[in-house]
Amino acid sequence: MKNFDHELILCVVNAGFSDAVMDAAKAAGARGGTVINAHGTANKEAEVFFRITIQPEKELVMIIVPSALREAILHALYKEVGLNTPGQGIAFSMPVDNVVGIKNEHEDTEE
Amino acid sequence: MAERSNRQQSESKKRKVNRLESKRLELLVTVVNRDKADFYQDLIQSYEVNMQMSMRAKGTASRQMLGLLGLEETAKAVIFSVIREDRVPDALAALEERFATIKGGGGIAYTVPMTSVIGVAMYGFLSNDERTVKEDMR
Repeated sequence: MKNFDHELILCVVNAGFSDAVMDAAKAAGARGGTVINAHGTANKEAEVFFRITIQPEKELVMIIVPSALREAILHALYKEVGLNTPGQGIAFSMPVDNVVGIKNEHEDTEE
Repeated sequence: MAERSNRQQSESKKRKVNRLESKRLELLVTVVNRDKADFYQDLIQSYEVNMQMSMRAKGTASRQMLGLLGLEETAKAVIFSVIREDRVPDALAALEERFATIKGGGGIAYTVPMTSVIGVAMYGFLSNDERTVKEDMR
């Protein structure tokens, strides 16, 4: 069991962009992730006012990363799948206080 | 006046005691192969967990790797469980052991601390604290 060595990065992207998320995260040092299908909700009035349509089908990508890599991965996600890209991704991190099941660096990398 | 102040002090002491007694809650997130989800839910439930949510998910193994193994995608389940803080070490130790020993039962688990919950009944349910249920309701 490890304490506070890891953080959970959550990235909400338009459906179909989870591969792009993982490509960007892996390039920045992440090892694996899990994808959940989700349904987004947006302020309808704001959508009309700003003439922007928010695609409701979303994917939620959960990635556990060592705390030291958090900044680099979040930066990569912002650059590759951020709000100004077709993926329209929102990424944030949360503290995680106990982690089990993460293999060490030299073992197979998939979760 | 003095009596009132004494009463206030003893009430505040009581409140402090109550606060110390209530344990914090954590959100336990477990990611496992989908066909093992029921097994892990049963295991986690044995650690005084009363509420769990399981949802379908997929792993992100590279296509190259999956192709080599003849698979199309990795079907996973994500189990969210609300667990009392003092049960976390035992639950995680049990999960870690099963991850390492069960064939195809590998996975990861982590906890996220919860900062607040509203309602005594809800707290009692989530923490499996039977003291929060009134005698006549049992």
